[in-house]
Amino acid sequence: MKRYQPWLTLLARLVLGGTLLAAGLLKIKNPSEAAASVRVYKMLPVAIANILGYSLPWIEIGIALLLIVGIALKKSALAGGILMAMFIIAIGQAWARGLPINCGCFGNGGVTADGKVHALTYFTEIVRDIGLVILSGFLYRFPQGKLGLDKFATEENDGNK
Amino acid sequence: MATSNSGKPDKGLRATVIGMVAFVVIVGIGFTLMTNHSKSVLKLPASVSKADGYGIVFNPTAKPVIDIWEDFQCPVCQRFEAINSTYINQVVAAGKAKVVFHPMSFIGQESVLAANAAACANDQGKFLAYHTLLYQNQSPTENAGKVTADFLTQLGAAGGISGSKFTGCVNNMSYQNWTKNIEVDAASKNVNSTPTVFVNGKELDRKTQYMDPVAFQAVLAAGGVK
Repeated sequence: MKRYQPWLTLLARLVLGGTLLAAGLLKIKNPSEAAASVRVYKMLPVAIANILGYSLPWIEIGIALLLIVGIALKKSALAGGILMAMFIIAIGQAWARGLPINCGCFGNGGVTADGKVHALTYFTEIVRDIGLVILSGFLYRFPQGKLGLDKFATEENDGNK
Repeated sequence: MATSNSGKPDKGLRATVIGMVAFVVIVGIGFTLMTNHSKSVLKLPASVSKADGYGIVFNPTAKPVIDIWEDFQCPVCQRFEAINSTYINQVVAAGKAKVVFHPMSFIGQESVLAANAAACANDQGKFLAYHTLLYQNQSPTENAGKVTADFLTQLGAAGGISGSKFTGCVNNMSYQNWTKNIEVDAASKNVNSTPTVFVNGKELDRKTQYMDPVAFQAVLAAGGVK
């Protein structure tokens, strides 16, 4: 474990950061869809859901950049983990309520056009997000890895010593 | 180790990176929030008003009110159109209800182009015909390059809409700001998916009332369409 841990940390950073970066970049091109994708969970008042929907892609990109370059790793891993935990709660409650979780054109996202609920869609999303939470936890516990900028920053940094 | 010697500059590196990332995030959020507000100064297509959520209105004084949110790139909207459009067009033609079409564009840029062109067709009094043509010629993949200004003007020509007014309107994206306002209005009404249909402000039942023509006509009748 000790020998591989720095490499695993790098891998975890790239997987979690890469996922968040891709998710964010895909969404900034289409803000109205991003806003709808928050509204579908029906957890927040519409106006707040819209503001969150417009902001979330940028927050994801920000956390992703910090994870990928490896700065303030403990804090960014924590932020990424909290984000993923929020997604798990949102998907879980949508599943329980039978809400479709893909906006846009009906026909996917857990509920088909005919209103049938497909458990597998929610399940796979939740499993993916749990995996990412585990990666965040790993990064929080073992922030020192290969090719991280934190290494070159001061000792008082979170993570380094 | 080098870190002990260069503590200060390294601290600077950390602050610089965090600062740059924070800058990107804040500017990005600010820009997105600013550009996704309803535009107050804009050119509106014929029969459109703010009070109707910027939708394209038929039979403005009739009751009941049927609102249809759709995206011309959405395959389920295509199915919905194939199933129910004949009936909807009859309702419009007979003046049996106020029908408001809200062409959304959240699937992407080609939806914006199509919605704009539909509004241009509406100015020529050909919205419903063009609406059908758009679905009949829908691209099997979203935003794949099929829907262009040329494609949309040719589609118009096929439906008997020609003239520089229409082509100019399509080419210049005359109603681009209007498409944004449709999006913002839909967002405020919690419309997240297409198609979405309201009868007198109440959404149809997703499970049963969209894709079954008998159930669809029944819910319209219950809402007051005679």
